Amino acid sequence: MDFSVLNERLDSKSFDKIADLCDNLMLQVAAEGVPFQDEWPFVIHLLGHIYVDDINSARFLWKSIPVAIKESQPELVAAWKIGQKLWTRDYAGVYEAIRGFDWTQETQVLVSAFSELYTKRMFELLQSAYSTITIQDAAQFLGMSEEDATNYVLRQGWTVDPASHMLTVTRQAIVREQKLDPGKLQRLTDYVFHLEH
Amino acid sequence: MSSVEGLVTQIQGRSSTASDVLLLQNLLKQADDSLHSESTRLLPFLDQLDPSMHSLGYLYFLEACTAGPVTKEQASSFVLIIARFISSCVAEQIRLAPDKFMSVCKRFKDQVLLLEEPLRGVAPMLTAIRKLQSSTEHLTTLHPEFLLLCLLAKCYKTGLSILEEDIFDVDQPRDLFLYCYYGGMICIGQKHFLKALELLHNVVTAPMSTINAIAVEAYKKYILVSLIHPGQFSTSLPKYASSVGQRNLKNLCLPYIELANSYGNGKIADLETYVQANKEKFETDNNLGLVKQVVSSMYKRNIQRLTQTYLTLSLQDIANTVQLNSPKEAEMHVLQMIQDGEIYATINQKDGMVRFLEDPEQYKSCEMIERIDSSIQRLMTLSKKLTIMDELMSCEPLYLAKAGRERQRLDFDDFDTVPQRFNI
Repeated sequence: MDFSVLNERLDSKSFDKIADLCDNLMLQVAAEGVPFQDEWPFVIHLLGHIYVDDINSARFLWKSIPVAIKESQPELVAAWKIGQKLWTRDYAGVYEAIRGFDWTQETQVLVSAFSELYTKRMFELLQSAYSTITIQDAAQFLGMSEEDATNYVLRQGWTVDPASHMLTVTRQAIVREQKLDPGKLQRLTDYVFHLEH
Repeated sequence: MSSVEGLVTQIQGRSSTASDVLLLQNLLKQADDSLHSESTRLLPFLDQLDPSMHSLGYLYFLEACTAGPVTKEQASSFVLIIARFISSCVAEQIRLAPDKFMSVCKRFKDQVLLLEEPLRGVAPMLTAIRKLQSSTEHLTTLHPEFLLLCLLAKCYKTGLSILEEDIFDVDQPRDLFLYCYYGGMICIGQKHFLKALELLHNVVTAPMSTINAIAVEAYKKYILVSLIHPGQFSTSLPKYASSVGQRNLKNLCLPYIELANSYGNGKIADLETYVQANKEKFETDNNLGLVKQVVSSMYKRNIQRLTQTYLTLSLQDIANTVQLNSPKEAEMHVLQMIQDGEIYATINQKDGMVRFLEDPEQYKSCEMIERIDSSIQRLMTLSKKLTIMDELMSCEPLYLAKAGRERQRLDFDDFDTVPQRFNI
């Protein structure tokens, strides 16, 4: 089996491409009838799905892995543990699952990249869903100590009330670049003109 | 026998130009019966042919070879041969004998399933579809086979790729029924409930002269999905659905209709009792997982209903009205819904309150213009297609004959001498 493209993607940290790549590779190898399952990088494949937040695909992949392989690879079980926590929306549990295993070197890169991304996603969720939140809860969602979490959100412009241990969320207006293709606008104008006349 | 050898020579000599291939096709058609009677000794001849050059001849030989029953050992060698053939054959040649190609592919699927390795069939079957179909709008008999393999191999994501294409051309009604049913299951697995609903809707409203099992099973899932996604279910099918479907589907899915009724009442405890009492029925239908999703979606539905009435509400009140155990649980539900974009709200932990907001979309971003534009484009294409079909229909002799008969009757009415509306 040729994993050179996969390794390239891992080296260049294009983690969002891993899941698709592994899916396609697996289908090709399977079509040739090669017994691939013993040496297939299931851990990377599974984490690839988790990285792009495709828990459904991660779950189906997990279900399709033979029991013998699950039993012989504790790292695979640990990787799925992250998936399980995401599936049940156990927000703090995800960090526990990440920290609860001594990942091999090649997996570690992917796991820590995911961990970073997940913290970012959680911060965005808190920012959109809360107006005030306790320091304790915020720390759980962000997977940090209370002190680190406070510093993290203060840097993003939130404010803290030390007396009540409450954080007040400030939402930054997200400025997106709006670059419009004039052709599109012209087309829409044509439609409206056509409908009115 | 020399005829097989002779045929091999013909195939080798007449596979390069289009006109030669047509001649070859006639030869092969004539030889088909004798190929089938020689089927046991054809396998070695395949080595003398190159699937990428002599695709048509290879196909006829392969079809004859695989016609009989196969053992597991034979299947494992055939599967490899067919998979390689599918990946290297020339589309123009195999399209000359679509029936042969389809039956080879179907046997391929059967053999893969016999070996219990559905994963092996997924990629070749997709390639086969692409080679067989004249355009992506064409639904082949192989579409449902591909989706079935995806389901069995748990490659749901791969299955999604062909479901995005709009279908306008169908060979057999059964293909459409199965395609939409399996497609619905794939979308359910990936939690694309809206698309799943659309596909299942196509099954239950499709024209049918007698009720069929696919439609019944699709209707069950249709009920469940409509409870999960739009959150409501109407027992009456649209007018354009077949009368057979309108009359029978409901009676064949009574436990599901009852479930929908119970869901409509909004009482979670009643719903849970009902599901518990009918658990076995749902389990034998393999729908228990989906039923459980229906139950948990009820909390969401009830919370969504609150957003229509209140601007702010305490977490405690939400927990009480929605029948959750604690304000914390209510908070987690609200958070999940915000995460999934199902409601717009902010949680204020300090006061224990939730503020419901309006949809922040202002329809003025580039993405939105892009979306509106592409929707209009799609509708315009669709409308053009409808016009073409309409024109074709009005030239169809069968239709004209029937319309003509009706016309006569109507014309007769026009000669009614007493205009009734003036009678007072």
